[in-house]
Amino acid sequence: MKGYTGKILKVDLTAGKSHARAFDEKHARKYLGGQGFAVEIVFHGVPKGADPLGPDNVLAMAGGLFDGFPVPTGGKVAFAAKSPATNTLAESIMGGSIGPELKHAGYEALEVSGKSESPVYILIEDDKVEINDAADLWGKDTRVTPETLKKRHGWDVKVACIGVAGEKLSKIACIDCDDRQAGRAGLGAVMGSKNLKAIVIRGTKDLVPAEPEKLLEIALRYQKIYEAAPSFIEDTKYGTGEFLGWVNKEKGVFPTRNWQESVFKEREKIDPYYWAPRYVTKNKACFSCTKPCGKLFEVKSGKFAGVAIDGIEYETLYSLGGQCGNADVESVARANELCDLLGMDTISAGVTVGFAMELMQRGIITEKDVGFKLTFDNASDAVPRMIEMMGNRTGFGDVLADGVKVAAARIGKGSERYAIHTKGLEPPAYDVRGMKGHGLAYMTSTRGACHLRAGFYAPELVGKFWKWEGIDRFSPANKGFMVSQTENFMCVYDSVGLCKFSRGFFLIAKLPEVIEAITGMNYTEDELLKIGERIHNMKGAFNVREGVTRKDWLLPARILEEPIVDGPSKGSKISVDEMNMMLDDYMKARGWTPDGTPTPEKLRELDIA
Amino acid sequence: MVKMLVPYPENCTGCRFCEMACTMYHEGKVNHADARLQVHRRNVKVDFPSVCTHCVSCGEDCCVAHCPVDAIKHEDGKVFVDQEECTACGTCVEVCPFGVMRMEDKAFNCDLCDGDPTCVKFCPTKAIVYEEPKPGQYEKVKKLLEVEQ
Repeated sequence: MKGYTGKILKVDLTAGKSHARAFDEKHARKYLGGQGFAVEIVFHGVPKGADPLGPDNVLAMAGGLFDGFPVPTGGKVAFAAKSPATNTLAESIMGGSIGPELKHAGYEALEVSGKSESPVYILIEDDKVEINDAADLWGKDTRVTPETLKKRHGWDVKVACIGVAGEKLSKIACIDCDDRQAGRAGLGAVMGSKNLKAIVIRGTKDLVPAEPEKLLEIALRYQKIYEAAPSFIEDTKYGTGEFLGWVNKEKGVFPTRNWQESVFKEREKIDPYYWAPRYVTKNKACFSCTKPCGKLFEVKSGKFAGVAIDGIEYETLYSLGGQCGNADVESVARANELCDLLGMDTISAGVTVGFAMELMQRGIITEKDVGFKLTFDNASDAVPRMIEMMGNRTGFGDVLADGVKVAAARIGKGSERYAIHTKGLEPPAYDVRGMKGHGLAYMTSTRGACHLRAGFYAPELVGKFWKWEGIDRFSPANKGFMVSQTENFMCVYDSVGLCKFSRGFFLIAKLPEVIEAITGMNYTEDELLKIGERIHNMKGAFNVREGVTRKDWLLPARILEEPIVDGPSKGSKISVDEMNMMLDDYMKARGWTPDGTPTPEKLRELDIA
Repeated sequence: MVKMLVPYPENCTGCRFCEMACTMYHEGKVNHADARLQVHRRNVKVDFPSVCTHCVSCGEDCCVAHCPVDAIKHEDGKVFVDQEECTACGTCVEVCPFGVMRMEDKAFNCDLCDGDPTCVKFCPTKAIVYEEPKPGQYEKVKKLLEVEQ
């Protein structure tokens, strides 16, 4: 089995033991790698009804099939577990270098089960696996932790770790590696619940592709394709926020002040076209990425002097910026840094702060409850301050530390009305009232509101993608079928480990050539999409087993009842009828029952047991 | 004037494509430990490439001078290890200020890919350039490496 390590490492933290098991070509063909492997581990490893923050939950980490090989932008790693935020099977994908390092150590995936009695970290050096005491690291942030471990084990080890938020079981806690985050769905809390502070890896084994010369030729070819693309210069200059102005001004779907507005009028102050020339000192890239969208953002003077982050990403410009009415880019950067250091997802954290700000605007909570003015017009000071309190669970931060759904339940007084989420996950930076298929994708996403399970914002905003043209973002028609297709597409992407920003270049039809150069195995486009469908169905089946069905998928009231107030998408909303029509279409396209259950026939067809 | 690999740490994004390209070209595999150059990724602010400078950086020929069996030669601007004479003692690996003398069964180092360095071809940000030696750039890398000692 060329190109594969052939092994999965299991670490049982309760027993303090580890062992590696082999997998065969059939397994590889069924799940590809990355997300596919991680989802398989959780699907089969987590018993029904398991407490996401209990010892029965399993945390999986798997390098994509391309990880470690010279495929431009192909170095992503997938984490998966039962999410404490959504109670569903949730995966979170990140860049960084931990996935490739795991494969060099000889493992396609890592499965962590059980719970340690005291804080530990896992050290993997090829065949040697240790569970070491992490008492001295507990309470440390996501920069001090890897630096301490690198001084101890050598600068070349790779470290994935959690911050204080993960230790304190925040349902919006993330996992960090190389200043990149597996942010969504609270997987950092799963690590924290296992008393697992960090995973440290040094891999020194060879990764041998089936056709080295062919693979190098492919690598150079795609690097040139990227460089020639018009988006290349903008992406590398301004990062992922490059299209903020377009989404905000031309499309009018940039959620602002907790989704009360959809155009952020002070957008220019947080637009990368403004800040990149002033604050960016260097470009940053994930492992094997030849089109660096990461930016080293440094604040040299003023009250936020000293801030240095890999950012600010588009999503964070929304969550800690527009969503909170925060037009001070230095404050956004500081809040971003605090999220990173404390180990919280910037999307969920920012949406939660914006939610609380609207509650104060409406008098549901008061300055007395919070301790200071948590208001949109005081955002520059209030956002970083509240983020710090949430990460440390101090004061009112403890109320907000688990995201909007839990916070609304704690606060009561009708606050649920202003909690924007699906399945318990806070939404990313697209106001789906003006992009209805993407609204469907927020509902069907197995991990809750997400822009990347289907990536459907791109087809709707651009109007074309893959095999479709003339896509109307205001129409619900045919979106059920299209979203089901792009979800399968994305499952393949996360399994090979490619960055989704490459999907315009690397359509699924282009992948068989690369997979063959690495593994020698042949696939057709349809076979790969079938694997994607299998992975999505496994997540769907898992979620139904945990009691999460259509009734839990629905869009929040604001999206269904309050049309967009201003801008190019003014007047648009998703009506209840449109929502139900899209969901019905989707279930049909999936071959699922109307309540979202994969049928026995479908599971058999996909060989899921 | 002879051309060398010149590192530009200020341009390095830490993607490590150069390391992969190096062993893919030479051995048809990926193994960062065998790459003839190294990318160091220390924290959010610091990532940089360290390359074999073929001993033009300070003119001291560290590996050549320290090799106990004179297996390392410096001829026509190139440093190379005589594989017959090398005893794999590891001295050169220890003394190389750039940390890029590698060891498997015997010591080996960058051979500039016969005048068309693969790492340079694959570096997307011109963090490694094949050009006339730039002592100032080598000094930058040395300074960065000192932190790791």
